Amino acid sequence: MDWVKTVYLVLWAFTYNSVADDFKEQALKLMADTPLIDGHNDLPWQMRSLFNNQLNMVDLNKLNTTHTNIPKIKEGRLSAQFWAAYVPCDTQYKDAVRQTLEQIDVIHRMCHEYPEVFKFAASSQDILDAFEQNKTASLIGVEGGHSIDSSLGTLRTMYQLGVRYLTITHSCNTPWADNWLVDTGSEPEMHGGLSEFGKQVIWEMNRIGMLIDLSHVSEKVMNQVLDISKAPIIFSHSSAYSVCNHKRNVPDDVLMRVKEKRGIVMVNFYNDYVTCSPTANISDVADHFDHIKKVAGSSIIGFGGDYDGVTRVPEGLGDVSKYPDLVAELLRRKWSEDEIRDALGRNLLRVFSEVRDHLNGTKPDDIPIPLKEVQNPCRTDFGYQDKSSSTSYHSLLYHSFKLKLFHVCSCLL
Amino acid sequence: MLIYKKAGIRGAWIRWFMCTLLSLLHGVISETSRALDIMTKYPLIDGHNDLALRLRMHHNNKLSTFNMYNNPKVATDISRLIAGHVGGQVFAAYVLCTAQDKDAVRLTLEQIDVIRRMCTENPEMELVTTAEGMKNSTKIACLISIEGGHSIDSSLAALRMFYQLGVRSMALTHNCNTPWAESSSSYYTYYQQKNNSLTEFGKAVVNEMNRLGMLVDLSHSSWETARAVLKHSTAPVIFTHSAAYAICNNIRNVPDDQLLLLKENGGLIMVNFYSSFVACSNNTNMSVVADHFDHLKRVIGAESIGIGADFDGAIGFPKGLEDVSKYPALIEELISRNWTEEELAGVLRLNFLRVFQKVEKVRKLILVSNQSGINCKLNCNLFPCTLDIEPPSHLALCERKQVSELRLRSVS
Repeated sequence: MDWVKTVYLVLWAFTYNSVADDFKEQALKLMADTPLIDGHNDLPWQMRSLFNNQLNMVDLNKLNTTHTNIPKIKEGRLSAQFWAAYVPCDTQYKDAVRQTLEQIDVIHRMCHEYPEVFKFAASSQDILDAFEQNKTASLIGVEGGHSIDSSLGTLRTMYQLGVRYLTITHSCNTPWADNWLVDTGSEPEMHGGLSEFGKQVIWEMNRIGMLIDLSHVSEKVMNQVLDISKAPIIFSHSSAYSVCNHKRNVPDDVLMRVKEKRGIVMVNFYNDYVTCSPTANISDVADHFDHIKKVAGSSIIGFGGDYDGVTRVPEGLGDVSKYPDLVAELLRRKWSEDEIRDALGRNLLRVFSEVRDHLNGTKPDDIPIPLKEVQNPCRTDFGYQDKSSSTSYHSLLYHSFKLKLFHVCSCLL
Repeated sequence: MLIYKKAGIRGAWIRWFMCTLLSLLHGVISETSRALDIMTKYPLIDGHNDLALRLRMHHNNKLSTFNMYNNPKVATDISRLIAGHVGGQVFAAYVLCTAQDKDAVRLTLEQIDVIRRMCTENPEMELVTTAEGMKNSTKIACLISIEGGHSIDSSLAALRMFYQLGVRSMALTHNCNTPWAESSSSYYTYYQQKNNSLTEFGKAVVNEMNRLGMLVDLSHSSWETARAVLKHSTAPVIFTHSAAYAICNNIRNVPDDQLLLLKENGGLIMVNFYSSFVACSNNTNMSVVADHFDHLKRVIGAESIGIGADFDGAIGFPKGLEDVSKYPALIEELISRNWTEEELAGVLRLNFLRVFQKVEKVRKLILVSNQSGINCKLNCNLFPCTLDIEPPSHLALCERKQVSELRLRSVS
């Protein structure tokens, strides 16, 4: 009866494959009518580290040393991407602002260089318009509060430049917020979460309609922001702590608060955050999707792959062409089409529109961070009135004012 | 008239006196009303105002604590701008030279932010970014400028981002040299370069400004830098707040030979009112300011002249021109010196609009953008306030390495 077993095996294999193909086909169909919006991709950082932002030295149609290139974007049905304008924590208290401007600039230029592929976007409507034109909507997220150098004016101007989310910290404390390393014990806590100025930053982001991104922050910051934010918040690239207890992930109680706040958690694919080990596969990533759905429902889920920002990505999700395979896996796990559409893009579109709606016409916050919280050798202090030697300062000021020569700063030079 | 018949000879003198007085008064009144008429038809566009600096100095940019309407502590407020018939003002986003190589970029963003807020929160003002916008505005149209190349921290990306934020003019230097251009002032000795007053990177900056459609402002640049730019730029350039060297030989002013180059370039000199630049002394009056206009008209014609008073950027302005409400008095003076309405219309706004439009046209003509990120590597060991992100070795180092060597030489 061996031949019966063989026939049975062949039939089973054939059925399995065609069912798998069906799921993939269904995934592609869904992705044709709902845009996939990914929360975080570090291609701009690759442009800097590989090409010093000289885009004329690279052809994104042919580049094969990164997770992301144009053919892969097309194959992966990536319809919208928040590109990260990231600069390292080492630039904090140095030239973080200028370097961040350069990253913002490279994203704009990338869109300009490949206009048939990328369309710059700064709103939900822009994303939908790009989707209509079969282009990848390109948005900007600044990854790390150190990029604004404790300046609300800088926050506002970056918004003007099209930045639509700010990750409150990267992997370093700012003068006003603690990062996730504090929860691992490897860095001292500075603020117990957010300082008073940190709260000003949150409210100003609410006022101007900039998404608050809590990936990379400490747990206390997560909770304090959820307490005080007047708008929904996002995690642009974080996964579920219950599945892998890495401090970059989101614990269940916070997931539930995100649900109450109508926010979104966009699942990160980095192996170390998916399985808490150097290896992972598609199924492991899908476990995170399942868990978040179980705890808080599918209305808070999204995709935040972190491609080109990490080295180890799961087997089967090796680059940005593989999203449809993940969607197929979710379909295999009996996710409904509605739930898939929510995760693909509808949740993010909802959050994005609601954040804009909170622009309630109040005046900009013009209270600067207290000088003592932010003094460092690379920061001048012109304009602050609270100085120790005020008499000599004022006479020097008057004397030099005529030629606009001010020698107020006593920094090292 | 009975009194005159009875007075006789004395009456004739009285008659003569009254007639002279009345005709003088009529002349004065009619000159004043002519000035106001002309300025009503052609509201002034002034090239340089430092109110944003005063906001930083005295209020740390807390706009909510500043009275924009009537403020005796500054030379500029909305009531006086209206009284002065100002229809457009270029506000300078200026940061101190001591911030160079430190936090100049962030400070510049904050100045741009405060100007934007000032111009969008008051209904009498509006922010514009084009010549058309400036021309058609029925309010006080604000344009943002940057005063000093140190604001871009030698980064073309930063320059582009400033343009995107609405900056439409940049002075290449303030009172300090940048690594790529020279200031007229030698107060700061760093970044001095012999015979290289506009380096290759400096030319790249000018090229990029031409490509973007940003006005190149030569006020504060050294004469050599100015000459080099006048030779290199494909668009007209401006001096937003400088006067005539021939009248007052201050290094901030423009010598006649440069004026002729400017004329050839199709550019504009917007006259500064600051006493030290106008009269080479602290104590002067409107007549000396008008002398500058007369001289410039003689050398390059009225079509190359504008007004860039520099209010709130200095202490010590001529008698009669103390603040932004006083512009009509200057126009009156020029009328009395037989300046025609056409010439005055040009000086007040049409010349600036023409130059700005030309700069916008050059932007459209430059189609190829080979500006893809000329990024400079800076040697971190010598510049404590920068982080050196190592570019791949196959890419050539550009000027910043030379810059770091220059800096080392000047501080050691």
